Amino acid sequence: MSTASTTEHDAAHGHEHPKWLAHHFDSPTQQFDSAKLGMWIFICTEILMLGGLFVAYGIFRGMEPDVFHHAHEHLNWRLGAVNTVVLLFSSLTAALAVRQSQVGDRKGTTNYLVVTLLCAAVFLCVKYVEYSAKIEHGLLPGRCFGHPGFADHCINAGASVMPAAVHGLTTRASMFFALYFMMTGIHGLHVVIGMGVLGWVLWRNLRGDFSKEYFTAVEIGALYWHLVDLVWIYLFPLLYLVG
Amino acid sequence: MSTHNETHDHAHGDEHESWHVHAHVSSVKFMVGIFATLIFLTFITVAVSRVDLGAANGFVAVLVATIKASLVAAFFMHLRWDKPFNALIFVSSFLFLGIFMLFSLDDLNTRGRIDVSNGVKVYARNGERAPGGFTPISAPEHAAGGEHGAAAAGEHAAPAGDHAAPAAHH
Repeated sequence: MSTASTTEHDAAHGHEHPKWLAHHFDSPTQQFDSAKLGMWIFICTEILMLGGLFVAYGIFRGMEPDVFHHAHEHLNWRLGAVNTVVLLFSSLTAALAVRQSQVGDRKGTTNYLVVTLLCAAVFLCVKYVEYSAKIEHGLLPGRCFGHPGFADHCINAGASVMPAAVHGLTTRASMFFALYFMMTGIHGLHVVIGMGVLGWVLWRNLRGDFSKEYFTAVEIGALYWHLVDLVWIYLFPLLYLVG
Repeated sequence: MSTHNETHDHAHGDEHESWHVHAHVSSVKFMVGIFATLIFLTFITVAVSRVDLGAANGFVAVLVATIKASLVAAFFMHLRWDKPFNALIFVSSFLFLGIFMLFSLDDLNTRGRIDVSNGVKVYARNGERAPGGFTPISAPEHAAGGEHGAAAAGEHAAPAGDHAAPAAHH
């Protein structure tokens, strides 16, 4: 904000403005609400982007329920459950980081943000273990897909009316793993980006940017992190616990 | 909003009351309670998946996940105390996702699939013949694709109808 515009603004409102209040906002409340509105619209676009994959999942599971059930048994639901608890806990600590920021406890915000980031790191480590096992077992879709459990005789094709060329179980099961890797991969990318966002919030918090009056970035960063948690809440039962 | 009175309370008496944003501060105990509920619902999800409910398994899994997502959105993401417009945006994204899903499923379920080996279109749900135009990709046509020149195009122009026209330019 330039000195000239500050002076002009002060004259118009008759009181001094805090340095974090951008010139084009009338009040901190307006600035805070605008930031949140923007974030919610962004969250909406994220849901619609991931929605394409969820729709694809719904359609292919409806077409091949047996294949999906058979394929999901190759995922380790215990690791998925551990990651669910880790992400839910990180969501709690992110919410508490915002809370501590709201009451002006800078140290508390720092601690909760660090715990959130540690949880994110644990999540990614578990994901790494899972991915490397899947790839080692030949469950990566594409040319390398070749798990002995998906030889064509394992499950009868049944009433499927798929063309002969794609009748093989190998091809049909690879769809489950294609969805698994795409959905968890995009989610994992969001975890990495979320860590970047929370790391930036942590850095700004340590620098002393936030106070009881201004904690917008903590709130918005936490909203992004909760989105990552929201997506996982759906991914866990849909991928790891196919009934 | 109904919660305005309580959210305003902490601002009273502050010398810069107008600087305060109207944000609700939840207690730590309340947040931990929400977390405990989420963990409990995770156990429910795992337990239900062990019981064979047929097609209902997927439905129950999505239902429990939606309850969990609602708790996160309402309390961790503060939608409960936010401007209702933010909640409207959030819910509308699921509404449009539902439209996306329903129209895609409706399209697929009411459309015949191509059964190449028998040269017909059939419904996936019962295997019955489905109406609709379908030109079987028969063996001779495949062979013709490999040939070159006007001879192949002329040969297929009459039976294949519209499809022969682009093929002739290859």
